Amino acid sequence: MSFELALVWESLPKIVEGMGLTIELLVLSLVVGTALAVGLVLMRISGIAVLEWTAFVYTYIFRGTPMLVQLFIIYHGLAQFEAIRDSFLWVFLREPFWCAILAFSLNVAAYTAEILRGGIQGVDRGLHEAGRALGLKTHQRFLYITAPIAIRLSLPAYGNEIISLLKGTALVSLITMYDITGVARTIVAKTFAPYEIFVSAAIVYLCLTWLIQRGIGLAERRFGRYVRR
Amino acid sequence: MGVVVEWLDAFLWGALVVLRVFFVALIFTVVWGLIGASAKLSDSAIARGIANAYTTVLRGTPELLVLLIVYFGSAVTLTGIAKLVDPSVKFVHIPPFWAGSLAISFIVGAYATETFRGAFLGVDRGQVEAARALGLTPAQTFFYVRLPQMWRLALPAFGNHMNSLIKDTALLSVIGVEEIVYVADRATTMTNKPFTMYLVVAIIYLGFVSVIIKTVAVLEVYANRHLDRAR
Repeated sequence: MSFELALVWESLPKIVEGMGLTIELLVLSLVVGTALAVGLVLMRISGIAVLEWTAFVYTYIFRGTPMLVQLFIIYHGLAQFEAIRDSFLWVFLREPFWCAILAFSLNVAAYTAEILRGGIQGVDRGLHEAGRALGLKTHQRFLYITAPIAIRLSLPAYGNEIISLLKGTALVSLITMYDITGVARTIVAKTFAPYEIFVSAAIVYLCLTWLIQRGIGLAERRFGRYVRR
Repeated sequence: MGVVVEWLDAFLWGALVVLRVFFVALIFTVVWGLIGASAKLSDSAIARGIANAYTTVLRGTPELLVLLIVYFGSAVTLTGIAKLVDPSVKFVHIPPFWAGSLAISFIVGAYATETFRGAFLGVDRGQVEAARALGLTPAQTFFYVRLPQMWRLALPAFGNHMNSLIKDTALLSVIGVEEIVYVADRATTMTNKPFTMYLVVAIIYLGFVSVIIKTVAVLEVYANRHLDRAR
């Protein structure tokens, strides 16, 4: 029962190999999820009751259930239906990778939609009225006035969402994939040195978290460059 | 749906385990949060350093990894200690229920630390000075002046933490706690109806989360009742 630094050094390169998959999952789900979120938030502010209600229910369900359960419903659950097994979708849905991308994207979309909605609500009404006074059309007001400010207001919360997605990707180790956590778990199964290996994995995650925070910090500076003088 | 009925009492027991984990972890979460927030606001640089390290590490590490470190790490440590006393011992561990509850309370405790810190800062300094002028001890000031005023400020964010807490209980099946994901997993191998079974799990969690949201809303009205009257 001692902490062997040598073991950390030995396992770090292997764990870093798993990082590729973690980053792939993170970036892909983030892109798809954010695109979906924009759609959802447009539904939420559309003023059409059916769309608003659908988007609300969607967000409520995906924010109200654990991501693990969402992942399992898609990965383990969808195989229950013959229609899905026989369809062309099965090429993707039998792969844990695409199941994970689907589950994470749907999950991120729900959280990000709420964040963006908060950002849009935070935009001063006066700016909107000024836009109208200047004769801008609805979509112009949204694109040139509301959206840039809403993005700036949403960025800090969006950064937290990216970090929580990064942490969520560790769940793929439960569906037979070798991301950072998956690789760490196989090494632990061989060496039974949980402290050394899992702590090494945690260090890798902390470095990624730090990078994300720096990136968001830079983006905040960029989008808020007119706020500071 | 007939298959679900057969597994209904298993799910019920599983849901009870989720609730037990939730309440045990909730108590620990509040304790870690209060200790962490006090440390972050203290004059001691060492206490602040430890609290900052705690929140940085626990908020940047995947929940699953924290759970594995707490459970398997403690097992290795305990087994090592036990072997010193009695070499014939093979494996000693913290029961998964407690290891799991502790692990998720560590995680959410880090978020609660930040929330409580902000809430303590939101209490008017004059209140603390008045308490000192009245001759209250620091402990009395904490429990009679600061705590009753900070909790209503912490409530909205803490409601979210409670939701994270209940959702994190889903991870505990990984270390063999017999909660609802575990039940669904077992039911699936028997019935071959994974979608149905995990859907039941999702519905149970959605129910719990809805109750928490509603409770927090009621508590918020209660906490801010003095503002209501002033209007």
